[in-house]
Amino acid sequence: MADITLEKVVKVYPNGFEAVKEVDLDVADGEFMVLVGPSGCGKTTLLRMVAGLEDISAGTMRIGGKVVNDLGPKERDIAMVFQNYALYPHMTVAENIGFALKLRKMPKAEIDRKVKEAADILGLTEWIDRKPGQLSGGQRQRVAMGRAIVREPSVFLMDEPLSNLDAKLRVQMRAEVSRIQRRLGVATVYVTHDQVEAMTMGDRVAVMRSGVIQQVDDPQTLYDRPCNMFVAAFIGSPAMNLYEATLEAGAGALRLGSQRIELPEAVRVARPTLAGYAGRAVVIGLRPEHLPAANERSDGNVIEGDVELVEALGNELQVHFSIDAERILAEGADNAGEVTLHHGEGVARVDTRSGMKPGSRGRFAVDTERMQFFDASDGLAIRE
Amino acid sequence: MAVADPLAASSAVPAGEPPGGTAPTVVGRHDAFRRRLARLGWSFSAPALIVIAAVTIFPIVYSVIMSFSKVNVSGNGYSLNGLTLHNYSLVVNYGPWRYALVFTVLYTVVTVSIELVVGTAFALVLERMTRGRGLLMAILLIPWSLITVISAELWSYMYDQQYGIIDAIFRAVGLGSPSILGSAAPSIAALCVADIWKTTPFVAIIVLAGLVMLPRDVYEAAEVDGASGWTTFWKITFPLLRPTIALAVLFRVLQAFGLFDLPFVLTHGGPGFATTPLAILGYNVMFQDFLFGPGAAIATTTALLVVIGCLLFLKVFRAQVGSEIS
Ligand SMILES: Nc1ncnc2c1ncn2[C@@H]1O[C@H](COP(=O)(O)OP(=O)(O)OP(=O)(O)O)[C@@H](O)[C@H]1O
Ligand SMILES: [Mg+2]
Repeated sequence: MADITLEKVVKVYPNGFEAVKEVDLDVADGEFMVLVGPSGCGKTTLLRMVAGLEDISAGTMRIGGKVVNDLGPKERDIAMVFQNYALYPHMTVAENIGFALKLRKMPKAEIDRKVKEAADILGLTEWIDRKPGQLSGGQRQRVAMGRAIVREPSVFLMDEPLSNLDAKLRVQMRAEVSRIQRRLGVATVYVTHDQVEAMTMGDRVAVMRSGVIQQVDDPQTLYDRPCNMFVAAFIGSPAMNLYEATLEAGAGALRLGSQRIELPEAVRVARPTLAGYAGRAVVIGLRPEHLPAANERSDGNVIEGDVELVEALGNELQVHFSIDAERILAEGADNAGEVTLHHGEGVARVDTRSGMKPGSRGRFAVDTERMQFFDASDGLAIRE
Repeated sequence: MAVADPLAASSAVPAGEPPGGTAPTVVGRHDAFRRRLARLGWSFSAPALIVIAAVTIFPIVYSVIMSFSKVNVSGNGYSLNGLTLHNYSLVVNYGPWRYALVFTVLYTVVTVSIELVVGTAFALVLERMTRGRGLLMAILLIPWSLITVISAELWSYMYDQQYGIIDAIFRAVGLGSPSILGSAAPSIAALCVADIWKTTPFVAIIVLAGLVMLPRDVYEAAEVDGASGWTTFWKITFPLLRPTIALAVLFRVLQAFGLFDLPFVLTHGGPGFATTPLAILGYNVMFQDFLFGPGAAIATTTALLVVIGCLLFLKVFRAQVGSEIS
């Protein structure tokens, strides 16, 4: 068991591409760290560097306090689930899972017991004597998982280990992985594209973009207080609505296109620096659930938009609307197969009883307390 | 030669057989389409197949017939006069034939084994090389690319008792001046050395081709699992390389079993019959002694042995790797 410390870690590929840029990251012993970010941002690269499969161009990496820059994977005592599984094609499922144990000269009976146990957890018992070529993608992925969990390493590295499983199995496996990780108390770095996995599994979540770690925080903080527009847009599904707005002189209200939103005293007190933006453009962020349907009782701030599409999810409606303000698209926020956003389009989650229909004019109450503010020029959150 | 068929069969193994019967069976229109495509394929190949039949099948069949015939040779040709098994009983009881059979088999086993080990070692080194790989490969391939008759001639100079370099080396290290090509065991060894020198590069290149095709990520997984270099070779590389090695062995065994030109030039099959393989024996019986019937019988039995050997080999090969790689 060990903690992982990255200090200004850099990866430059032989072709000159800098995939990881001065990353600082601490994963405490026993901590479950989730690593998220858009495709190609360097997650796998970072994970492979921790594993020792990719050498470190600059910076220091420590595992359990020991500098491991020059150590191979073998000496780092890690278990890894590869993004592309990397199963041994000539071995059966049981042999694949038990290979590492066999190398450790564990008695055969014990290997068998552990392999059986892992296969049982992963629902692979039926296929235990098959070779990887005769398995489905999801089954292969579970074998890859099994190879990691039978070991008791110092560090777990998992690269999208559940990406190929069906929804039900994924929920089940998610719980199993968390359970195993907690039981073994092993520092874990877990890469995922899945919002739910990121929010539910991680003690902390690191958001990465183009080789740079944007923010590392516990899931709730990340959701409530994103440090910049990128994180704001990346975390959460459907994504946060980001609009360009102008702060009126005196910072008492916002102009959102042709509409006006009053800023209550509390919002201004919570962010004194906001006053400095008076008369200038800022970016405001509103999560879909902070735009409920307005009713007679909603006092104060209401915005109106043309309802374009209504998706009934059973418990709520996802209403796609458009207003005449400039919609900001943070790069990489187009995750989870969302509908492409047009000019001024936003999403609100409203009560099913509001009965909004496409083509109608929707009225949404703005939860100004939960509204996020970002500097329009550098995208950083205005928090103080 | 008849050997083309087992090879074609081997290359069809991975594609043709769905692993474990899990693949859905193709039915209906698709099936009909495939049959039409197959017919088209056959019709395009027909001219070539006819030529092949004319130049390979006919001589083979003819030689088989000849081996079962009473052959009368006279000044102006020969004639076949009725069937007999006499040719075979002659051959089977002929001492040099028995010797040649044992010699050819042992020679094949020894040279192919050594070539395989050394060639694989070369391939592993070549695979790891980042610089100069092309150059080293080119150098390695020189022996293979030389015409056998020429390299055999070169080796006979080197083995020469008066002015050969090998003789000089032996004398320099105090081993005297043995007549290498003059006695049985040394000339067999000399033959093996020359063959290994020539053919190891071929094995190395085939194995290298197999090596570079192996999936990199599997090695990474093995590294993470804690496998040492040695373990990785025996548990990962070797099993994954088995189909490639099998192919190299098949090629080499076919070649070695038909050994002719190297001993023909280097040792003339001697001293005595010491380095006379089946092919040279058959040639001598047929074209020096003009015993067409027994000569054909030698050719036929040799071909039969090769075919049986290949079929056995392919059977084992299929059982071992057929289901593994998909
Ligand atoms: N061997 C390599 N040489 C050069 N560039 C590479 C190499 N491997 C990856 N890259 C580049 O580095 C960047 C990061 O790649 P990486 O595989 O780490 O992304 P990722 O975050 O894991 O993406 P995904 O979510 O799609 O798996 C990509 O832009 C990729 O093109
Ligand atoms: Mg990746």
